[in-house]
Amino acid sequence: MTTQQQAGQEKEQAVGQVEMSLRQDGRARMAGNTQAFLRNHAPFNKMQPDALQLFADKAKIVFYAAGSEIVGPDSGKVRYFYLIESGKVQARQAGEVTVTEYSILSLGAGESFPIGAVTAGRPSTNLYTAVDDTFCYQLPAEDFLTLLASSPEFNLFCTRYIASLLDQSRCQLQLQFAQRASEQQTLNSPLHGIGSRSPIAVSPETPLRAALETMSQAGVGSLVIAGEDRKAVGVFTRTDLLDRVVLAELPLTAPVSQAMSPHPFMLAEHATAYDAMYAMATHGIRHVLVTDAEGKLTGVVSERDLFSLQRVGLRQIRQSIDGAHNVEALQQAAADVRQLSFNMLAQGVGAEQLTQFISALNDALTRRVIQLNLEKHHFDGIEWAWLAFGSEGRDEQTFSTDQDNGIVFVPPEDATVDALRARFLAYALAVNKDLDRCGFPLCKGNIMASNPQWCLTLDEWKDQFATWIRTPQPDALLNATIFFDFRALYGKADLADAMRRHLLSLTASSPMFLRAMAKNALDVEPPLGKIRDFLTDLEPGQPGKIDLKKYGSRIFVDVARIYAMASGVHNTNSIQRLRLAAQRLSIRSDEIDAVLEGLNFIQLLRLQHQYLEGEPGTQGDNLIDPDTLNELDRRILKESFRQARKIQTRLKLDYQVQ
Amino acid sequence: MLGLKKFLFRGSAQANLPDDVRASLDLWRASKAPPLDDVHFHTRYVVVDIVSSGTNPESDRLLGIAAAAVWKGAIQPDDTFYVDFSTLDGEGSTVDRELTAFLLFAAKAPLVTYHIPYVGGFLQRAFKERLGVDFQPQWIDLAWLLPSIFDDKGDSVMPMDHWIDVFGLDAGSGRRDAMANTLLLARIFQMMTVRAVSKQIDTAAHLIAESRASSFLRRTH
Repeated sequence: MTTQQQAGQEKEQAVGQVEMSLRQDGRARMAGNTQAFLRNHAPFNKMQPDALQLFADKAKIVFYAAGSEIVGPDSGKVRYFYLIESGKVQARQAGEVTVTEYSILSLGAGESFPIGAVTAGRPSTNLYTAVDDTFCYQLPAEDFLTLLASSPEFNLFCTRYIASLLDQSRCQLQLQFAQRASEQQTLNSPLHGIGSRSPIAVSPETPLRAALETMSQAGVGSLVIAGEDRKAVGVFTRTDLLDRVVLAELPLTAPVSQAMSPHPFMLAEHATAYDAMYAMATHGIRHVLVTDAEGKLTGVVSERDLFSLQRVGLRQIRQSIDGAHNVEALQQAAADVRQLSFNMLAQGVGAEQLTQFISALNDALTRRVIQLNLEKHHFDGIEWAWLAFGSEGRDEQTFSTDQDNGIVFVPPEDATVDALRARFLAYALAVNKDLDRCGFPLCKGNIMASNPQWCLTLDEWKDQFATWIRTPQPDALLNATIFFDFRALYGKADLADAMRRHLLSLTASSPMFLRAMAKNALDVEPPLGKIRDFLTDLEPGQPGKIDLKKYGSRIFVDVARIYAMASGVHNTNSIQRLRLAAQRLSIRSDEIDAVLEGLNFIQLLRLQHQYLEGEPGTQGDNLIDPDTLNELDRRILKESFRQARKIQTRLKLDYQVQ
Repeated sequence: MLGLKKFLFRGSAQANLPDDVRASLDLWRASKAPPLDDVHFHTRYVVVDIVSSGTNPESDRLLGIAAAAVWKGAIQPDDTFYVDFSTLDGEGSTVDRELTAFLLFAAKAPLVTYHIPYVGGFLQRAFKERLGVDFQPQWIDLAWLLPSIFDDKGDSVMPMDHWIDVFGLDAGSGRRDAMANTLLLARIFQMMTVRAVSKQIDTAAHLIAESRASSFLRRTH
């Protein structure tokens, strides 16, 4: 090689180096372009910069014309992970064995596939076809695996799809509401960060005088009574001082244990503020003691501590309900319940807790209406109970729930049933009207205690149940979906228990009835489109909308009821029914968890919609326009409907419904 | 500066080039152009867009080049190119090296752009003035080809934004940089090749011929 040639080669290197560096600039620009897309889509918008960079550096852009196949079982080991940039892709399960409806799914911008196959390095079981002209980012499998190993967010997304999306949706919701509910701490905060960390505690043997001096010096209104092992045995408050010391004429030398309220309510440190709030609402207590894993006292959370999390106080509402002497006072309390529920919704409390919570306060409200009316109506010596049906019976109330109630009674031997019924009906009418004034509208179907059909003796209820089960006509099946979800709200709970035992013994021996219920439950399918994401024209007169109750939550509720009856589950709440029935029927827990997440999400959307879109003071509806949802919520909704379809498919197979 | 004055003062562009640039140019001249009779999937197309100080190739300045290769059915992130001349004053050999680097990158592949007289005009003048190269690549002009191939979606030469709208591409908001523009063109090109195949325009040679024909026919009829 001549010197001239050598020099030429070295110099050529110089241009070559420039080319390399300009190629890198090109790649960086293209990556920037890709990142702009990724930043708008979950889970990428939560990923660390270096993980995003890796994706953007490696992702090719590919185009698939409408109708062309992207990847399928015949393409061999999957070589790419696909993220849809624009267009629509249909996933269809290959093979003939599957139940056809379940196997088709439509994917849109921001969604990716085939996660399972590319993770496992196997061929895809689904056939993916472009329905519209579609652009995808195509990430080589080896880079996908690197990302899976290096990015926890991406890993969570790929392994726990719906759960990770839900977490993000909750965060978004909290941000969205941040201005309207400007609290720093949320109700999901664990208790170890709330309230007093060094509660004043004395031993049970402490004389009352010493205990009172301690309270006075510390300037506190309550004391925890704990043994030397720091395990709490009671609480002593100023209220106890009046009732149990002064009025009971207890000497100040007596040990504090004689005046304390024993069995204090305790929660573990990892329980949430919500749990404490719920306990206060249900038990009507003011303080919750916080303990560590060994049950030792570590703190006290008072209602005032939670009050700082909430603008409308919980106990305040409970007190105003319990202390209300007329309907007007209860109307205010009902408005407060709504406000408080909104605050909780805004703080990202899940639908399961929220609906339970609304139900708990609505229960208290209803009980107060029932009590107030008992001042004018007397049923002494008669066993009876006020029953709640439907969503109230299931503890699944949303903001807009109308009344569904009834009465069960046992007439004394010498009484005439009809005369007694007439008295109950008059009473029930007054209660129904008052409940209406408190924001629980009268039931359009007249399923109310003031209707003679639903104000029955225990034997009449049993006969009624038996008639429906023996002759499962359409009306009977419809009634079963309402009346079989009952619980006693006031009066003798034993009567409701007797009804339940009777019902379960009947259904356990009537497979034909359960099969008819199953057939009925499968009449309505989740509104998933084969080409579009959602079917939005199912409701006449409401184009573009989906009824989230009819085509959403009701599907889960109906399936839950059937499995509960089939497996002898006493609960009425759908989530509890599904959890317990799943155990008895050996359904995998991760499978049922996904179903419950789906149900919870639909309920959450209903709550949000009712609060945000309902006119103040009116009842919101359940009709949502999926186009108005953000992309993330749309994806979760789609997945939730898929879960509905999944549980329906299971029911179809279990009951051999064609 | 890639101005005309510079060229006049420089005399013969070739003679003043650094050795390494000249060597690279010789190599480029001697290299074989890729075959044009293969199917689109196996052909490497280079989509290119430029930045300039105005619209007149004779008097305005070339400020940058953004290019991306489309082959094996994908826009390839590791086969892209971006150069920004706007911060250079045109002195020294940096611009010469960068322009030569573009020739090496393009490697005589068919070039895809929107409106050849603009993009090609600026490139030709730059290569002529700076490197003494008569730049005559195989051009494919989407401005003329799109109304010919998608005759259901537009029947005359239209602004690029029309096609972005028609195809529902997300062009972002505000000004696009040259690479964003190139990537949009590359996407449109991908869509177009699919449609072209259904019209038996299934090789680069066919595509180039169609591009010429459509511009000729529309200009003269």
